[in-house]
Parts: sequence; structure tokens; C-alpha cells
Amino acid sequence: MSALIRRLVHLCVGIYALMSLLPLFWMFYSSFKTNAQIAQDPLTLPTHIDFTVFREAWAVGGLGQYAINSGIVTGTTTLIVLLTSAMAGFAISRLRFRGSKAIILMFTLGLLLPIQSYFIMQNQEFEWLNLKDTRWALIIPYAAMGIPLAIWLIKTYVDSLPKELFEAARIDGSTDLQTFRFLMLPIIRPALVTVGIFTALGAWNEFLLALLYIQDESLKTIPTGLLSFSSKYATDYRMLFAALTMVTVPMIALYVAFNKQIVAGLTQGAVKG
Amino acid sequence: MKPTSRLGVFILVAPAALIYGFAVLLPFFGTIGLSFLRWDGYASPTWAGFGNYTRALSDVIFRSTFAHVGIYIVATLIVEVLLGLLLAGFVSSLRRSAFYRVALFIPVMLPMVVIAVLWQAIYNSDYGILNAILGSIGLGQWQHIWLGETRTALLSICLVSGWVFSGFYMAIFSAALNRLPNDVIESARLDGSGELKLFTKIKVPMIRQVTSIAILICITGGLQGFDLFYVLTNGGPYHTTEVPTTFMVKTVFRDGEFGYGSALAVIVSIVGLLTAYLFNTWQKRTRIEVEY
Repeated sequence: MSALIRRLVHLCVGIYALMSLLPLFWMFYSSFKTNAQIAQDPLTLPTHIDFTVFREAWAVGGLGQYAINSGIVTGTTTLIVLLTSAMAGFAISRLRFRGSKAIILMFTLGLLLPIQSYFIMQNQEFEWLNLKDTRWALIIPYAAMGIPLAIWLIKTYVDSLPKELFEAARIDGSTDLQTFRFLMLPIIRPALVTVGIFTALGAWNEFLLALLYIQDESLKTIPTGLLSFSSKYATDYRMLFAALTMVTVPMIALYVAFNKQIVAGLTQGAVKG
Repeated sequence: MKPTSRLGVFILVAPAALIYGFAVLLPFFGTIGLSFLRWDGYASPTWAGFGNYTRALSDVIFRSTFAHVGIYIVATLIVEVLLGLLLAGFVSSLRRSAFYRVALFIPVMLPMVVIAVLWQAIYNSDYGILNAILGSIGLGQWQHIWLGETRTALLSICLVSGWVFSGFYMAIFSAALNRLPNDVIESARLDGSGELKLFTKIKVPMIRQVTSIAILICITGGLQGFDLFYVLTNGGPYHTTEVPTTFMVKTVFRDGEFGYGSALAVIVSIVGLLTAYLFNTWQKRTRIEVEY
């Protein structure tokens, strides 16, 4: 390709990339402006930098609590999905037992079912069991929704491992549970990283169920919490931009640090599912 | 291998099966059952037969949700999948492309609600940046109340969707393009095909399988769309951005019509599964086998 065309492509993609980053820049710098400045002149840059608005949004606006809730829900969900899916994925892939076909079929169904096909009755279940407005009302469905794809990815990964590995463990007298704990878990780490990334991001970002199951302000996660924040501070633009910035900047930093794994995890999760 | 003990198998499989069975499988069958009842969530339910279904088929608003989601899907196929493919083509032809790859993927990992609240601000007619930019470059007559006018609301949502997911599809296509064997590309170059021809005639046909997966994800994901619609317009103005899921949530959780809402859920799920199935069989029949 000639140097001229290459430069032209660089220019086009570059302009496009800057345009797509503009909303994020705008959000970031607007949190340093006063409400009057934002309303009169949305485009201009702030005149001075003052970080107190962030402290205010974190403490007074309750963002800190939302972040803690999101952290607990996401962490627990991810741990449950990783552990239970690794166990089931190993059994389905390596062990021949009665009913294994039916179980595979059952989990495959979960890859196909959209969330709309079950959330109405799920809501009723949680209502009857008094689970609504507890953290379990999010952890259980997030884990349940993540498990089919997680099992699928782990099963495919274990299928690709040489079977001699597992037979050797068997000959050495290892039980299935020992094989799982001491042989399987260490060698499927790449699959677990992929599963962990999309499970954690899915739980962190989930909105529909969080909206339906959690009304209690002190239990809201970041998506629903930010929504009530934005209606509470609808006219306090500065606070709103500060909150948005505080939610996005740590995620962007995390993403830039681990972008290879995150891109691979999310795209693999989507494509193979 | 035969398991060493049946108890071992049970311990391995039961936790995943129980969680999944309790929170997905059971409510799935429950929703199907509920769709044949009339129920407000409290009083004892009464049998409705196919009443909820016939009501759904003649519900003008429900029917219109499929038109809206159809427009949304077509628009996102363009601003997400097609744009993503073009971006991948451009970016993979550049040597220093790390910045673009990283930058364009950022929105994908942010919560949709956060994105929706941010774009609400962008589209805001008082302090939003979009009208401000249009005003400052002399296109004041193009200013709109983007999310409040029936003509612009749905397209404004599609644009946000494109902003988020074009980078996602770019990443999928970039990975596929990078996997292409170098010798094929090089021999095509030696035969004198230009970059454009190389892209349209060789690279794109070779990643056909990935393209059809991308289209499928875009369609099925579109049918399930909720977060952006709920936050940006919640179906308004005048139901012009109402999609199946926003309508379903209103039916069940605002109007307390559990049976009717379940029938809507079943219909939407069938439409989704049927679309995916038809798309797959159509793909298989028309697939040109490309070996690489």
C-alpha cells in the first residue's frame, strides 16, 4: 500500500477514533465546570481543576455504597460460576455417567434461552422466597445465567486436552474429585480467565434484573444506583458528570491495563456462545 | 472414563445444575405455564387458554414493538457490524494500530446504563454537546430535541448503540483477519490485486463464517435490547421507541398483568429462536466452502 493511502487511512480512522472518544472527554472535563458554565457553554474547557466534587458524589451521592454492592455481587457471582462450572464442565467432558447426555442438553438449552423467556417467573420465585431486596436476588440469577456458557467453554477446553493425562491420574489412584482439584483446576487456567472476565463484566454491568429485584437504596449496584443518582441530581450537571467519570475511569484504567485479555474474553464469550 | 464413584459425579455436577435449574430452567417452564393464565400476582389465577396470545396478536402497541426493534436491528447491522468490518479492514492494514484497537473498544466494557445516562446528557437540549456542536458550526437548523421527537428518538438510540458496539465487532473481525494465512494474502498481492480488491474479494469472503456469527449476535442481541431504551426514552415519545422488553416490563411490573406479560415473553422468545434457526439454516444452504 502506498504511503499516501496509508496516511489517509490513518487520518480517517484517527478522526473517527477521536470523535468516539469525544463523549468521554466531555464527560470528564465537564465535571470540573460549574453548573452555570455547563449550561451556558457546554463545549468550553474548565477554567480551573477542583476535585472536591468527586468526594461529594462518592460520599453524599452514595456512589461509594453502590460500588461496594457491585463489588460484592460481582465477586461472589464470579467465584460461584468459576467453581461450579469447572466442576460440571470437567465431569461432562471426561466422565461417562448415566444421564450425562441429558445434562449436556439441559445446559445447551441455557445458551439459547433469552432472559425474557424466564425473568417474569423468576421474579415470582424470588418474591415467594423473600429473596427480593437481598444480594442473593442478584447473585443467584447472575450465576445461573453465566453457568451454561461457562460450562460450554470449559468443556470445550477440557475436551481438547489429551485423555492420557486423566488416565494417568486414574492409574495413580486419584479419585475424580482429587483429579479435579489437583490436575484439572491448575491446567484449565486460560479457560477460567476467559470465563471470569465475561462473567465479572456481565454481573458488574447487568441492569434489568437489578432494576426489578432491588429497591433498597443501600443494596443497589452501580447501574441502578447511577440511575437513581441521575434522577436525584438531574439539574446538578456537575455532580452527574463527576459520578459518570468516577464510574467509568477505573474501568477504563483496568481495561487499558488488561486490554488483550479483556478483548479476547469478551469476543470469545460472545462468538462461541 | 468411568467415574470412580457416583457420589463424586453428583458432587461435581449438582451445584451448577441446581443453581441453573432453580433460576433459569424452572422459571422458564413456569413462564410458559403462566402465559395460559390470567393473574395479577395476588388473587388466585384463572385459566385463560390462548386468550393472552390472541390478545397479544391484536395488540397494536405490541405489534409495533417488532417494527421498532426491526428498524433498530437493521440500523445496528449497519452502524455496528458493517462499520466494525470496515474499521477492522482499515485498522488491520495499518502497522501502528494499537491505539485504535484499544480506544474503540472502551465503550464495550462500560455499563449500558452509564452510557445511556452519558448520552442523555449529550442529546440534552439545554446543555447537551450535540446541539452545541451543531450550533457552533452553523448547522443550527439541524438541532433537535433528539430523544423527545418522534422522528429522531429511535435513530438517536441506534446511534448510541453503534457508538458502543462498532468497536466490539471491529475486535471480532480484526481477530479473524489476523488469523488469515499470510501466503494467500501474499500471493494475491503478487498477482497484482490492490488493497481494496484484496479486502473485498479475498479477505471478506474468507472470514464469512465470522461475519455470519456477528450478524446473528447483532440480531439476537437487538431483539433483547432493553437498557438503552429504558433509560433513554422508556418507549416514548408516544410508544415510538417501544421495544418488546420495555413493553413487557411495563405490562408485568406497572400494570400487574403477569399472565399477559408471560405470553408476550413466550412470543418474543419464539421469534428470537426462530430467527436464529432460520438464519442458521439459510447460512448453511448458501455457504460457499472456503478452505483455509
